[in-house]
This record gives sequence, structure tokens and C-alpha cells, in this order.
Amino acid sequence: MGKYLKVLGISFQQEFAYKLNFIMWRVRNVMQVLVFFFLWSSVFQNPDANYFGYNKEKIIAYAFLLIFVRAITMSSRSVDVAGIISNGELSNLLLKPINFFKYWITRDISSKFLNIIFSFVEITFLFLILKPEIFIQTNFINIMLFVASLLIASLIFFSIAMLTSFVPFWIPEISWGAQFLVIVIFVEFLSGAFFPLDVFPTLVQNILKFTPFPYLVFVPIQTYLGSQNIHLNLLSLGIGAMWAVILLFITKMVWQKGLKVYEAVGR
Amino acid sequence: MKQSEDNFKILKRYLRVYIKMATNSFVVWLARRSAFIIFLIGKIVRYSFYFGFLIFLVKSTNGFAGYTGNQILFFTATYVLIDTLAQFLFRSVYSFRQLVVSGDLDLVLVKPINPLFRSLFGGADPVDLITLPAIIFVVVYIGSLLSPTLLHTTYYILLVINGLVISASFHIAVLSLGIITMEIDHTVMIYRDLVSMGRLPIDIYKEPFKSLLTFIVPVGVMVTIPAKALIGLVGPVGVVSSLIFGLALLFFSIKFWHYALKKYTSASS
Repeated sequence: MGKYLKVLGISFQQEFAYKLNFIMWRVRNVMQVLVFFFLWSSVFQNPDANYFGYNKEKIIAYAFLLIFVRAITMSSRSVDVAGIISNGELSNLLLKPINFFKYWITRDISSKFLNIIFSFVEITFLFLILKPEIFIQTNFINIMLFVASLLIASLIFFSIAMLTSFVPFWIPEISWGAQFLVIVIFVEFLSGAFFPLDVFPTLVQNILKFTPFPYLVFVPIQTYLGSQNIHLNLLSLGIGAMWAVILLFITKMVWQKGLKVYEAVGR
Repeated sequence: MKQSEDNFKILKRYLRVYIKMATNSFVVWLARRSAFIIFLIGKIVRYSFYFGFLIFLVKSTNGFAGYTGNQILFFTATYVLIDTLAQFLFRSVYSFRQLVVSGDLDLVLVKPINPLFRSLFGGADPVDLITLPAIIFVVVYIGSLLSPTLLHTTYYILLVINGLVISASFHIAVLSLGIITMEIDHTVMIYRDLVSMGRLPIDIYKEPFKSLLTFIVPVGVMVTIPAKALIGLVGPVGVVSSLIFGLALLFFSIKFWHYALKKYTSASS
């Protein structure tokens, strides 16, 4: 346990070593949310309007929650694994007396911690500038389910980041390509991080529920907003948890297969 | 007569160099075939998702911010067109930092070709080139649904070219900053994020963001005004002042480039 606490501390300091890098990542996140905020504000110019099951207060809450939910689920250092596999640096890590997955989960926690702090600052800042009317959830059960859904979302994202990072075991030249396709394109669009999935027709929404993507952003935000009754919330959480378990299992299996073909190219 | 012949020869030489640089860039990409295919699929899927989302949105809301659904789609199509053209032409800006930090920019400076030309146009992107015909088709198709006049179409074409001039000016400024600060990656990504705010008409943004997108990073002139011109919302004065603005920006960015070159220390070479 002690060594992972050390990793946590060092990772946290490393985030500060590349300050500009971190600040720019946060600025980019905020800009994406700003586009979302202004787009939906103009759609809901009439305050009584109701589209896709949202009123103005709830869609603005969605925009602000995006900053917080993204900071928790999508801030991750696990995406760096692809690089260390393709340049052979993984060998250094394998020689150390630490568990590979615990090491990266620890680094993820450190990254999430810092991002959460910044997300609060950004939310406060934007709240003061934009002065929006916003929906605040007061139901304790919804808030607890929201916290649980964030934990599940983080595990799903960890598995997705790992699985895409393992591609260079077999094809070293596409270390960034696989992450671009899965994380930047599919996760961004199908998780609800770019727009609420309610915009899609019901058939598409139902199909998406059978994939892990909505459980990353859309389901946690829906849980917070209380858009569904408690039974549906629990069902969504159950499916999300099932995806987390399945993906973690696949991740471990692919890791073991990947290690067998790892050639430490570049070392 | 002699002067124009010389100019023609120079132009021909630069065209030959450009074709050579573009061919080299394509060969490099084709050597990494799997990455090429993944990025191509990624771009197609991204555009499909984005247009899909907008189509569902405008269908349910019948447009917003005072624009009809087709007009909103046309703003986005124009953004995608200008952004993709800029990505195709100015891709080498993304790898410029390495030239500066390694001192390899020396090798560009000593060659008998304009270093700005080499730095700006040195790596055409085939992924963007392949997607361009489909994007142009979408622009023409959605544009035709707006029934533009010949005059408005001419304005549109002129202003799209002007959008590219503005984009070139920004890329030149990024290169220049790269020489002075050795930092490219973040500047260019912030620029891209700001420009991506032009996916939608800038009328939807409130102050202070609207002013930022109008005066500081003129995404409005670059993307929104061309689309508005086709819709018939921009008069000749608006077109001429946008063109003057674009040329002025290009002039100042080139001045900045010359200033930056004087600061180049050739470190590490």
C-alpha cells in the first residue's frame, strides 16, 4: 500500500511539472463545454420550451455537470500506456516490484484528484460569468447513485483506455491511432459528452444502452438530474457495473496475451 | 515582359517544389497504412456523428438562433470545409516544433526556397485530401437547398478563400510563436478549439466570448461571414471589409514571421 501512496504523490507532483500541458487540457475541456452551453442556450431561448425531455434549467445543469463528470471519468494517465509499449519503456515498469494495473489506477486517481479541484474552480468561474439558472439535485438517493455511477464510469474508462493502449503490442505504429478512433471519436460522441443522447431516435438510444459508452457520461448525469425513476436508475447502474466487470476481465486477458508477444522494441 | 516571365518561372518552381513535398508526405503516410486507414475512418465517423446530431437537433427544434435548420447545417458544412482545407494545406505546422528545438530549421533556411513556404506547406495531409470531395459535395448540396443567387455564391467563394487566408495567417503566427517560445502544440490546439466554435453561427455566443471570436480570433470573419454571405445576409461592404481584414492579417503575420526569424538562435544544431 505504501509504495502506491508514493506513486500517488509522485504522479501528483508530475502533473505540476507540466503545468502548461495541464492548464491547456483544462482550457480545452472548458471550451467544449462552452460550445455546449451556448448551443443549448440558444435552442432554449424560450424559457418554457421543452425538447428531448429537458427544460432550460436541466440542460444548463447538464452543461455544468459535463465539466465535473468529464474531470472524474475521462481524466486519466492510462492513455500513456500505448506510448510506453510502442517505445519499449514498458520493460522498465515490468522489472519493478509493483502491480501494473494498481500502478496505473493509482496514477489515474492522482490525475482525477487534480482535475476535480480544477473543475470546481472552472464551474465557479463560469457560474459567475454566465449567471445561469440551473437545476440543483436535492434528493440524497439520487446524489448517492450519482456518486456510484461515477465510480463505475471511471472503471469503464480505465478499461477502454487500457484496451486501446494495448493495440501497440500487435501494431506498434498505431499507438495514437487506436485511441483517436475509440476515445476521441466513439467515446466523445456516444457517451453523451458532446450532446445528450436523448437527441437520437429511440431505436438508436436503445441500441446504445447495450454498449458501454452511455455509462461513461450520459447515465451519471441522468442519475443526477433524476430524469428516470429509482428502478430505472438502479437498472442502469447494474448494466454499467456489468460492463465494468466484463471490460476489466477482457483487459486482464488482453494484457496477458499482449505480454506474450511483447518484444521491447526500441530497448 | 521580362519581369512577368521571371515571376512565372518562380511560380512554376514553387509549384514543382510543392508537388514534391506533397508526394513525400503522401508516401510517408502510405508507409503507415494501418494508421492511415484508422485516421481516415475516424474523420469520416466524426463528421457523420456531428452532422447526424445536428440533423436530429434541427428537425426537432426547427432551427435556432433565428436560423432555419438548413442554414444551421450550412454553417457547420462551411466550417468543416475551411477547417479541412486548412488541415490539408498547413499540416506541417504541427511538426514544426521539432525543427526548431533540434536546430534542423537551419537546413530549411539555407535552401534556395522561401522558409515560410517550406514550413507552412511542407506536409500536405492525404487523409484530409480524400475527405475533401465528400465535404465539397455536402457544402454544394446543403448550399443549393438555400437557393442562393449567383452574386451570393460568388461572395461565398471569395469569403471561403478569405477564410483560408485568415487561417494561413494564424498558422504563420503559430510558426512564429514557435520560433520565439519553442511551443507549438498547445497554441495550435487552442487555435483549433477556438475555430471549432465557428461550427455554429457566432451569433449564439454571448459576451465576452462573442467579442473574442469577432475581434481577437476572428472566427466570425473566417467561417460565419462566408456562410451568411451565401444566405444573403452580407452586403458588398461586408464582403470588401472582410477581404481587407484577411489581407491585413496576412500582412501582419508575415511581418511577425520575419521578426521571429531574427530571434532564431539555431540551438542544438
